[in-house]
Amino acid sequence: MKQKKEYMDLSQYAVDQAIKAGADAADVFITDSETVQIEVSERAVEKVNATSDAGIGIRILKDQKMIFGSSNELSKNSIKEMVSDLMKKVPYHTADEFNVIYGKEYGVLERDWSSYTDLLSYDPKITEVPVEEKINRAISLEIAGLDYSPKIVGSMIAAYLDQASIFYLANSNGISGWYPTGVCGGYAQFSAAEGDDRQSGTKVQVGVKYDDFDPVKVGQEAAVNALRMLGAKPIKSCEMPMVVSPEIGVDLFGYIVGMLSADPVQKGKSLFAGKMGENVAAGLVTLIDDGKLKGGLATSPVDGEGVPRQTTPLIVDGVLKTYLYDCYNAKKGKTKSTGNRSRSSYQSFGGIGSTNLYLKPGNVMPGEIVAGIKDGFYLTVAFGLHAGINDVTGDFSIPVAGFKIENGQTTFPIRGVTIGGNLFDFLKSIDKIGDDLTWFQSTGCPTFSVENIKIGGA
Amino acid sequence: MNSKKKRREITRREFLGRSAVGVTALGFSSALLNTLLLHTGCKPGAKAGDLILPEDVLKKAVELLMAKGADFGDVFVERAAFDMVMSDDRKINTSTTFEKGVGIRGVKEGKTFYAYTASFEPEEVYKTARFIADAAAQGQTGGEPMVLDLTRHTSDLSFPIVPHPDEVATEKKIDMIQDLTERAWSADSRVNQVSQYFQEFIRQTNIATSSGKIINQTLGRIMFYALAYMKDKDGNLQMGFDGRGAYAGMGFFKGENAFEVVVDKSIERARKLLEAADSPRGMFPVVIGPGGTGVLFHESCGHGMEADLVYKGSNFKDQLGKQTAAKGVTLIDDGTLPELPGSYAFDDEGTPSQRTVLVRDGIQENYLCDLIWAEKLGLKSTGSGRRQSFRHPPIPRMRNTFIDAGDIPPEDIIANTKRGIYVAQTGGGGQVDVITGNFMMGVGEAYLIENGKITSPIKGATLSGMGIKALNTIDMVGNDLVIFPGAGMCGKGQSVPTGFGMPTIRVRGIIVGGPGEAWEDVDGGVK
Repeated sequence: MKQKKEYMDLSQYAVDQAIKAGADAADVFITDSETVQIEVSERAVEKVNATSDAGIGIRILKDQKMIFGSSNELSKNSIKEMVSDLMKKVPYHTADEFNVIYGKEYGVLERDWSSYTDLLSYDPKITEVPVEEKINRAISLEIAGLDYSPKIVGSMIAAYLDQASIFYLANSNGISGWYPTGVCGGYAQFSAAEGDDRQSGTKVQVGVKYDDFDPVKVGQEAAVNALRMLGAKPIKSCEMPMVVSPEIGVDLFGYIVGMLSADPVQKGKSLFAGKMGENVAAGLVTLIDDGKLKGGLATSPVDGEGVPRQTTPLIVDGVLKTYLYDCYNAKKGKTKSTGNRSRSSYQSFGGIGSTNLYLKPGNVMPGEIVAGIKDGFYLTVAFGLHAGINDVTGDFSIPVAGFKIENGQTTFPIRGVTIGGNLFDFLKSIDKIGDDLTWFQSTGCPTFSVENIKIGGA
Repeated sequence: MNSKKKRREITRREFLGRSAVGVTALGFSSALLNTLLLHTGCKPGAKAGDLILPEDVLKKAVELLMAKGADFGDVFVERAAFDMVMSDDRKINTSTTFEKGVGIRGVKEGKTFYAYTASFEPEEVYKTARFIADAAAQGQTGGEPMVLDLTRHTSDLSFPIVPHPDEVATEKKIDMIQDLTERAWSADSRVNQVSQYFQEFIRQTNIATSSGKIINQTLGRIMFYALAYMKDKDGNLQMGFDGRGAYAGMGFFKGENAFEVVVDKSIERARKLLEAADSPRGMFPVVIGPGGTGVLFHESCGHGMEADLVYKGSNFKDQLGKQTAAKGVTLIDDGTLPELPGSYAFDDEGTPSQRTVLVRDGIQENYLCDLIWAEKLGLKSTGSGRRQSFRHPPIPRMRNTFIDAGDIPPEDIIANTKRGIYVAQTGGGGQVDVITGNFMMGVGEAYLIENGKITSPIKGATLSGMGIKALNTIDMVGNDLVIFPGAGMCGKGQSVPTGFGMPTIRVRGIIVGGPGEAWEDVDGGVK
């Protein structure tokens, strides 16, 4: 994908238009993306959606009031009209002394953003490979699953997806630049059947490098995930130790980090408020957000406001060290931005988001964690986390599937039960962390265990 | 806490009354929405029924698309404007989005090829049509050049937008949200945060199909939702939520759907959650109140009845004519109900919308089909082909899904339940695995049922289980059907507005998850 000079010029044009129209400050975000999505069923293509998409998002600051607008019409006329529309509306907004357009106070990158190759998550190959080859990859993904075992009876989803984008950012305080970013991967869901028993298994893999994506492995792992659930049954309500697989660990920490964002903390919506410097997790828990991680899916030179990305330890040895900040919340909290303003596309006004988030691995092998448990539950599937976790109270109640642990070994598959508790208690009850840090998209987690979990069963 | 700023009180009635007589000249309205309304013929004086692109451009685009042997195809033109007024942390802000584009689909031997352009320039549209024609040909040559006669199709269904978004000045909307925000803050001393969102969305679409149809539709969607956070002296924090959405104008927000009702409900729910005890867990009778709670069956069963998922092996596959629900249970998906968020005159591939009975008295009668999957299943399209925008090809989706009314008074259902829970509001959304039928659904407002009476509020409950088992263990259906104009959006790779409904029902085969004590069904449970 090529950088387009006209988009850099257009972002500067929009900034200039805003200032000319009386804005105190403005920033402009243009994204230009190419996406390929291929869905396969019955060993042939079902759908090919190959698209390119560009648009502009404008933030204007006037008398401490901030307004946002976006459009996918990239003409100078349309931009002028949008700026004038926004300028008419902004007086009715609420003034907020913390509204801010970034002005280099937390540092700047000296060179062109795109020249920091260690800070790019982009593989040009994604846009160079012809669609036909991607179609073949998608088909091989489905075939790998379907042919894995005669007990695999069909696929519900088998897909390849990639996206390459160039982000352009300019503001009235002299910040200006562009960088490329991209992802590539696939996902699958298969059904396994034996008699009347029917089970499903899924697998998602998304990464930066085109060659790192292994469609056959994704297809096979989805098939294995379905097959190993055959014969699953519920167990009775009880309380027991639980081992959490990395795949589910990343989902849980994905929710926890949302509560560690300065925005809900400052607005009184997070129970992490006022806990700085306190023990919020077991002593062996260290949680890090690393926007500069080499090869990380969420690595980039700057965040959505132009602040350089950083490495931010959030919880160290169980103690809460900081929240994640953007410029607004940093100004409000009288601290520095951690470079966590996240903007996924031109349509997004943005908000605080994690980058590459991971739970620091321990030094126990995952097998040893299971071996140390006499009677327990090994968690491999969690369902509807967005509905099952209350991100205000931390209370959770989640339908899950997994395996029974008996005398240090996983035995039969379990489905039709829920786990319940509170994330704050959960963090404190982590008693072992494995050495197997595994990344799923931009979140990484090793296998870990908690002393005790409430299981609701049949 | 009170607002520092002294505001003149303005009631909603006065506010709407004023806007209706044309105060717009005094205020500023959204230029983008205004432009769109003018173009779409929604405004008096504008030429009604104007297409976004001229008919001859649509005709040529479809002819080019079909020139290389595609089985069928369509050209989908859209322009949409989205305005939002949001209140968070007592700060009122707005945002505006404008999107336009042309999506082109070619279907050959069941395979879909799709692309779009953001440009309305005829040459760009033709280029995209040629690209899809070539892709759909899949290397084969041949195909006859097509000469197409296009006929405009119209419908008796209409979804009037009253008043138009531009008839109410933006500053009036901002004032209104400010008043509603203060209403929430002043309702209880324990309120520690308030967020409210008012959204207006105008979307015009044109569809030209290879079967010779032209459709021109404009829908105005309006949404308001309110979140209230409350913290008690012990540091417990809870959030209450309520919302409404409809294809209508601001005039919709009256009576049961008034802005004030939504705000008060969000406060009441947060308040109850602060007083609530932990929900019990296990499998025991669950009585579910009427209305938006119907989302439970949207999630647990509706998705498994979407034709693409049926074909690929959902747990509802091969069930036509068979019993999938308890006797007395009728499940309907209706896209023709006035104002409701899942309604429309034509779906996004030009098929008229309809009322589709999915399950009648326990027997599976139909699935939700678009054109492609109807053909694969040997059924007819039910007008269920929907897309989020021009960026997406249509897929089978739900509209307004509900369990039809039975004949038991709701109070009898509660009186006949010895021990269980009563769910008044689901919350937080849900998820389903259509292969196994495993589903899960969050719960917002719920109570214990003890000895046939609704007693104290509970928190932290979730509902999960298997779709067909849930439908088959409904043992009482109330006579109090409510189809709720909720602010819900359904995601299936693409997001579309959907409505839900239900009378009061009792179900025995659902697993209740919760942080409280483990319960069993004291009346014997499910076989």
